[in-house]
Amino acid sequence: MKKTSYLQYFMIYAALLMAVAWSIYPILRVITISIRPGDNLLTESLSIIPEDWTFDNYVTLFTDHPFGTWIWNSILVTATVMLTGVTLASTAGYALSRFRFPGREASLFSLLVTQMFPATMLLLPLFIMLSSLHLINTYLGLIVIYSSTALPFCVWSMKGYYDTIPYSLEEAARIDGASRFMAFYKIILPLASPALVITALFSFMSAWTEYIVAAQVLWYKEMFTLPIGLKSFQANMTTEWGLYAAGAMIVSLPAIALFLFLTKYLIGGLTLGSVKG
Amino acid sequence: MTGHISLHLSQHVKRCLVILFKSLPSVLLLGSLLGAEKTTLHLWHPMPAPSRAVLNDLVAEYESLHPDISVHLLYKENEEVRMAYMSATGFTEGGPDLLYGPSDFTGALVEMKIVKPLEQFFTEDELSAFDPKGLTWYQGHLYQIGDELGNHLALVYNKRLFAEVGLNRPPESLQEMIEFGKKLTMDKDGDGVIDQYGLVWNFTEPFFFMPFYASYGGWVMDEDQNPTLNNEAAVNAFKFVRDMRDVHGIIPIECDYDIADSRFNTGAAGMLINGAWSWAKYMDSPDVDFGLAVLPINDETGLYPAPMIATKGYYMNPYLNGEREKQVVELMKFLTGADAQFQYASRLATIPTRLEVRERPQIATDPVIMTSIEQVSRGRAMPISPQMRAIWDAMRPAYQNVLGGSMTPEEGAAYQQELAEQKVAELFEGQDIDRDAVNISAILVYLGGLILVIWALFKLVVAFILPLVRGIPGVQVQESRFGVLMVVPAALFIFGVVVYPFFYNLVISFSNMGLTTVNDWQIIGLAQYGKVLTDSQFYHFFLRTVIWTVVNVVLHVIFGVMLALLLNRPLPGKGLIRVLLILPWAVPSYITALTWRGMFNIDYGAVNIILNKFFGIEPISWLIDPTNAFIATIITNVWLGIPFMMIIALGGLQSIPQELYEAASIDGATAWQQFRKITLPLLKPVMIPAITLGIVWTFNNINVVWLVSNGGQPGDQTHILVSFVYRAAFNLYRYGYAAAFSFMIFLMLALFSVKFMQKNKATETAY
Repeated sequence: MKKTSYLQYFMIYAALLMAVAWSIYPILRVITISIRPGDNLLTESLSIIPEDWTFDNYVTLFTDHPFGTWIWNSILVTATVMLTGVTLASTAGYALSRFRFPGREASLFSLLVTQMFPATMLLLPLFIMLSSLHLINTYLGLIVIYSSTALPFCVWSMKGYYDTIPYSLEEAARIDGASRFMAFYKIILPLASPALVITALFSFMSAWTEYIVAAQVLWYKEMFTLPIGLKSFQANMTTEWGLYAAGAMIVSLPAIALFLFLTKYLIGGLTLGSVKG
Repeated sequence: MTGHISLHLSQHVKRCLVILFKSLPSVLLLGSLLGAEKTTLHLWHPMPAPSRAVLNDLVAEYESLHPDISVHLLYKENEEVRMAYMSATGFTEGGPDLLYGPSDFTGALVEMKIVKPLEQFFTEDELSAFDPKGLTWYQGHLYQIGDELGNHLALVYNKRLFAEVGLNRPPESLQEMIEFGKKLTMDKDGDGVIDQYGLVWNFTEPFFFMPFYASYGGWVMDEDQNPTLNNEAAVNAFKFVRDMRDVHGIIPIECDYDIADSRFNTGAAGMLINGAWSWAKYMDSPDVDFGLAVLPINDETGLYPAPMIATKGYYMNPYLNGEREKQVVELMKFLTGADAQFQYASRLATIPTRLEVRERPQIATDPVIMTSIEQVSRGRAMPISPQMRAIWDAMRPAYQNVLGGSMTPEEGAAYQQELAEQKVAELFEGQDIDRDAVNISAILVYLGGLILVIWALFKLVVAFILPLVRGIPGVQVQESRFGVLMVVPAALFIFGVVVYPFFYNLVISFSNMGLTTVNDWQIIGLAQYGKVLTDSQFYHFFLRTVIWTVVNVVLHVIFGVMLALLLNRPLPGKGLIRVLLILPWAVPSYITALTWRGMFNIDYGAVNIILNKFFGIEPISWLIDPTNAFIATIITNVWLGIPFMMIIALGGLQSIPQELYEAASIDGATAWQQFRKITLPLLKPVMIPAITLGIVWTFNNINVVWLVSNGGQPGDQTHILVSFVYRAAFNLYRYGYAAAFSFMIFLMLALFSVKFMQKNKATETAY
């Protein structure tokens, strides 16, 4: 590849900076609300840090509300979902990429189909189902639902990525005596790390910020996950904006941390090129 | 004969469904599971934070008086608590022991038969201690015991701002209110933008319009619950509200609840019309010297504006009995007792429903409560019949269209009447089915269902069981078992969750399930589908949804791929940039979408300010004009969706061998050719599933539309199909119709995806 010139660098940075400004400005507004006293959603001031800024809202979250418990609950639920999502998607995606069995196309398509029915209409029957299975007020119900929501995309995304990895790699391994599973586990899976990262991020995010199902399933304040806890600050006409915004920022922190940690591996797949060539 | 068979079949299938998922005794009331001897009573409520604090104290007191009882409180927002109670109690015979809420829940709860009559638990003496307005009777039974008369609007004013312009009392007539408003409206710093308005209030909601309507002699329904919205009073009241903004200029051009609340609370508005639930906040505000007055008399008619009053109080779960029922009654008596009501009244200036509490010295002399009681005496009780919901849904678009300028007041009045009559009819649709009539459609439906199930089972066997037992043709048995076993866990997870809800909706979509037929619905064939397809709105919203989806996904992909390409090279600081670009995905959208709504505000939203400063564009009314509001929702959703596509594209770029580019460079290919011939084709296998799902998700993305347009505003014109069906299903309880509507959405998406995937050969591998 040709060397990037200074002018090109300048243009790239200019474009990226504009994109960054566009992407973070609304979030800065949320931060502003969270450090502004007096529960006001709107002001005429455009400044990011209000004159009378305060961290009171952040403190209140932990002193007056079981926010710490909610974080822990959320981590528990989300980590399980993420693990389930990555495990099941990486295996199912592999089989769907490598095997030609009669139901393959139908399976792939029906995965998509599950995403097509308006989710709001599924809530009531889901609730009926969970309550007759005695899964109300348990995390199990929540975890199963979250996993099943995240899986279709994850399976597809894994399958799509496996498709770009040539068969010759595992054939070589098989000739060397590795079992089918070992070839998958030792050779293919590491090469698919970018897709694993996407799968992990996606299953994390779909569980981490979900509140509609959670609000139906969990009835005890002590059992709340973060998003429902957060929603309890919000009401049609009496939202506690300061707490709501502060809570939202705290909800984002673990997500951002995970992004930081995982995106390293997203790029880690770069070695792939040399293997393939 | 056929009729009997079909009736029998219908009963049978229904029973199967019921047995399948209701047979086990409900354990929703979890007390026993927690292991202790203590009985846990559940109370769900929509109380705002200040009232919640009082409730917490009262419950703590009750628990210390009754060591064997623990009371579990669950807060949900008003509409959510109603929906959640209906699902839990109406569909699973579970739910909380007590539900707290406004009296307008009553009609729907009674129609659904999920609330217990209470007169049996009270003596006449006990009941006579209440203000009759505090007890909600409906169709001859007592269903709600109130602890507060509330939700009434009154005029809140800031005494400090009044004093600044030489006023020392609240206005005494609407004309005077306008005069005062003009004095209070000013541009303090002389920059040409008004920074203090005379009056603010949520004039987008018909609830806030009601007092004015009443002051011209109008009311929402007659004695037979028929809507009465097309009359002189409606036209005059529309004009009055519009003129306050357009002629007198005392209210901002754009003013929803949050804008009004923020402006008044920060001392940027002299007067505010708001409800009893909100006053406590302003009393505590450092920028407000709180004053409360009744809504002043209408000089033209000599009538006082009459706000709607709702009793707030307790409803009881109908499935309670025995010892538990006694415990719940006792708790309810405590929470509506004199001491409890005194707590609320003395701390929050609410109006107690017990007359003796109102006479206690501390309450009787409280100026806020005195004004509040006077305002209530001028108000009218909110109708509790279910028709009220239909009327709200009809008034909202008409009213917003009049204020937005797309209808004259006369047209608005006629439109809201027509719409209300239609929606009332929809509310009660399906209850007039002749249950003994020949019902061939039901038989066809069952036959169709049977064939579908057999077909699905057959496919399942061919796809999974046969390969497991006999192996895939041309592959070793062991190998094919390995393949199938890799897929099965994920498939079980996904379909285990989806199958029942899917078939539930399928059955419901052929039924007449609605408000009055929740528990005795019946298969009626394709009628609901017919209704969906003959409604011209369906096509209108379909077109809008297609535009919404295409614009969003195209922009998501273009920007996402572009950013990924820029980032996919050695670049100092790119780790940081990458994370900053991902942020819109990481921060919960239910707050960022609301922030975007704030940024689209006409006066001080960042979007208009930036457009004005850098491009010299005049302020655009983003949220009032339907087209602009739609664009605003699209901009917000584009912002939300780019990071996801960027991550997918970044991942996909990793799979492209660098050597290909090197070889192409040597052959003299330009950057564009490399992009076209190498990057795009090799990115495709990873991007196509993401794009397909992106299309499906965007098509069905209700959240952003709902939050940014505040539920379809203005005038229900920014809906896409899913938000429209949501409104139909949950505001008017049209379950059958909504299920059929959802199936139409589902079928369209499924058809589209088949075509799209075939065209892009997404199931095939690249190598």
